[in-house]
Amino acid sequence: MNRISRALGGAVLATAVAASPLAAFAKDWEPQRPIEIIAPAGPGGGWDLLARTIQKTLTEEKLVSRPIIVSNKPGGGGATGWNYLKGKEGQGEFLAATSPLLIQNNLLGKSELTYKSFTPIAALMTEWEVVAVRADAPWKDGKSFFEALKAKPESMHIGVGPALGNDDHIQFLTLTKAFGGDPKAVKFVVYPATAAEQIPALLGGHIQAITISLGETLEQVKAGKLRLLGVSSPQRENEIPDVPTWKEQGIDFVFPHWRGLIAAPGLSAEQKAYWDKTLAKMVETPTWKKALENLQWELFYQNSEQHAAFLAEQTELMSSTLKDVGLAK
Amino acid sequence: MDAILHNLGLGFEVALQPVNLMWLVIGGLLGTIIGMLPGLGPATGVAVLIPLTYGMNPATALITMASVYYGAMFGGSRASIMINTPGDASAIVSCFDGYPMAKQGRAGSALATSAIASFVGGIVGMVFLIFFTAPVAEMALKFGPAEKFSLMLFALTATITLSEGSVVKGFLAMGFGFMLATIGIDGQSGAIRFTMGIEALQDGIDFLVIMIGFYAIAEVFKNFSSLDLRYDVDAKSIGRVWMTGEDFKRSWKPILRGGPLGFFIGVLPGAGGTIATFLSYAIEKSFSRKPEEFGKGAVEGLAGPESANNACSCGALVPLLTLGIPGSGTAAVMLGALMMLGVRPGPILFEQHPEIAWGVIASMLAGNIVLLLINLPLAVPLVQLLKTPQRIMLPMIVGLAYMGTYFLNYANFDFVLVSVSALGGYMLSRLSIPIPPLVLALILGGMTEQAFRNSLTIANGSPMIFVTQPISLAFLVLAAISLIYALKRHRKLTQV
Repeated sequence: MNRISRALGGAVLATAVAASPLAAFAKDWEPQRPIEIIAPAGPGGGWDLLARTIQKTLTEEKLVSRPIIVSNKPGGGGATGWNYLKGKEGQGEFLAATSPLLIQNNLLGKSELTYKSFTPIAALMTEWEVVAVRADAPWKDGKSFFEALKAKPESMHIGVGPALGNDDHIQFLTLTKAFGGDPKAVKFVVYPATAAEQIPALLGGHIQAITISLGETLEQVKAGKLRLLGVSSPQRENEIPDVPTWKEQGIDFVFPHWRGLIAAPGLSAEQKAYWDKTLAKMVETPTWKKALENLQWELFYQNSEQHAAFLAEQTELMSSTLKDVGLAK
Repeated sequence: MDAILHNLGLGFEVALQPVNLMWLVIGGLLGTIIGMLPGLGPATGVAVLIPLTYGMNPATALITMASVYYGAMFGGSRASIMINTPGDASAIVSCFDGYPMAKQGRAGSALATSAIASFVGGIVGMVFLIFFTAPVAEMALKFGPAEKFSLMLFALTATITLSEGSVVKGFLAMGFGFMLATIGIDGQSGAIRFTMGIEALQDGIDFLVIMIGFYAIAEVFKNFSSLDLRYDVDAKSIGRVWMTGEDFKRSWKPILRGGPLGFFIGVLPGAGGTIATFLSYAIEKSFSRKPEEFGKGAVEGLAGPESANNACSCGALVPLLTLGIPGSGTAAVMLGALMMLGVRPGPILFEQHPEIAWGVIASMLAGNIVLLLINLPLAVPLVQLLKTPQRIMLPMIVGLAYMGTYFLNYANFDFVLVSVSALGGYMLSRLSIPIPPLVLALILGGMTEQAFRNSLTIANGSPMIFVTQPISLAFLVLAAISLIYALKRHRKLTQV
């Protein structure tokens, strides 16, 4: 390469570099007014915590140029808040916290809304699911437990909350089937107040096992009162290094209890790109990592494209499990 | 014993640090103000103030939240007494006699009684919390769905005995409450029941909305005929905020009974302040030598439940501190905030962070004293409100009631519900159908149904579980006794 062509090449490159921010400036979308993150539930729950953690991180790390408001819109198992979002068609400043309930409420016939009613934006964090028994129970692993269940389903009562058809319930149904039992024969005891009722009921010996997210059981496990039979994560979890995954126990079942964000329907590619870029940066910040550690959540990031594909796949899986037991039509 | 006192000493060291003491006072004051606003209960109060705690150390944060919680409990009964509008479920009972007392010009006495009863109840609850947490937490585990069902049945039948006049009307009201409670999505089967296609009804009816309609707005309707009257009050006595000798003589026993009752009910998973206050009211009425005064301004009917309510909130901390699971909505909000700070309450909190666990306990003891000191002087300007003419007071109550309704769920449909229930409440009182059994059935209906189903699931379909479990059987016997008592009293009344 001679000198001239090299100089020329350099010039072309320089022009390209100089031009690209300009081009991007013309095309990029930025929020034009305060950003609203809807927690479709009251204060204190998982959606609310997620919305407030995002608000805190984006604000403190100065990743957005506009103020962020978190608004609680409880009702209809999320439907009230999500319907509000649905009415903001094409407006990229509105986001709502979401979870597998968006899929499940539709499958159970509680709601018309599906992920297709919105623009999927991201999965952000996850918890993992476990099956817990009392520390003095005879079962040491998934196999012995589910075999006992298969032999005498009427003697085993399983605590689940707040309602049937959620992640906790789906985990247990899937495992029962995978270990060769009959999901329809399982006796579920429903606790609307979730862990607050499930854990005392298990410790008091009123039920034999609970299916629940890991974080809810951790303190009891550390105190030596509960034993975990398995966890739905792909690898063993740091806090519970002795508990094998379901995969290690021969069941091909990795099941996140994730939460993420959806946006109003009909967002443009530029608006999606803005949130992809902003949230990808957010999940790498120390503020976010520290918050996740405190809340005992795990990073589970999917951008808008990956998340849409994931939602489709999860809908498929849950639909067939819930149809098995007659909960979904 | 020595260990407990040593730990308590450690706790006071934390609680009495100037910064913690300062937040105790600020939190208590803010909580009292929030609690006074209709519709804003302790849970919302704590949630709204969570951003305050960002950047605090965990002990200070928990102390601040606990003092807001406590302040809101103290403040909650203010609105019940002054304008017949309960701020949360456990303040409903305070309306029954607190509001009539205020109308008779005894608002100062009612406010003082409620503050002092809350104080004593809180202290009794704290003492129980300090010394009996471990054994009581163990005992509460024995409490399964069958026991829970029987306890709620007892609370319901006891409330029937509260009804003036006809027992049949009491049952009618209870049945109506149960019917309202079935509206919404059923957790067990996922079936949508009686929503008539209205999405806003899917989560069921918020009893607080019904409450505000039944009590606050219906009361405005009732007073409409006397628009130009002022309350029949003695201008001199109105400013006095203290219990009279007579009040004191009648209330000290109810206050002392309310404390332990409230604490034990608070410990039970998912029972809570509603059952504690209603049961305390029923018990005081049956012990009283003047049961006919209940509902017309009997001071015992205010003192017992107020004490039970505050003791109950201490009891609700037992599952939070020992199991890391919240015993009430407020405790759930506190748990979330603590987790954001990196502290997870649970069985090992007392070992890992004794300064937090005991600091909070000590600060609640101190907080009770602070709140009493805040609340007594605060009552002085409040009672002056009663001098306001009805023409001004009634529209204000309606405004506050609708505002409170919106604060509950931010749901527009609740405006319809509150208006309908206001008319319904007015009609019920014209027909002299008692409202308490309806309200309690509405609150407990869903839980009672689920406890019944869970009992049967666990017993594989056999209803014998309710009588073979001793605790459950005991509650059923109590329920039967209270029913017989009600029928007997009714017969006596009708024979005269």
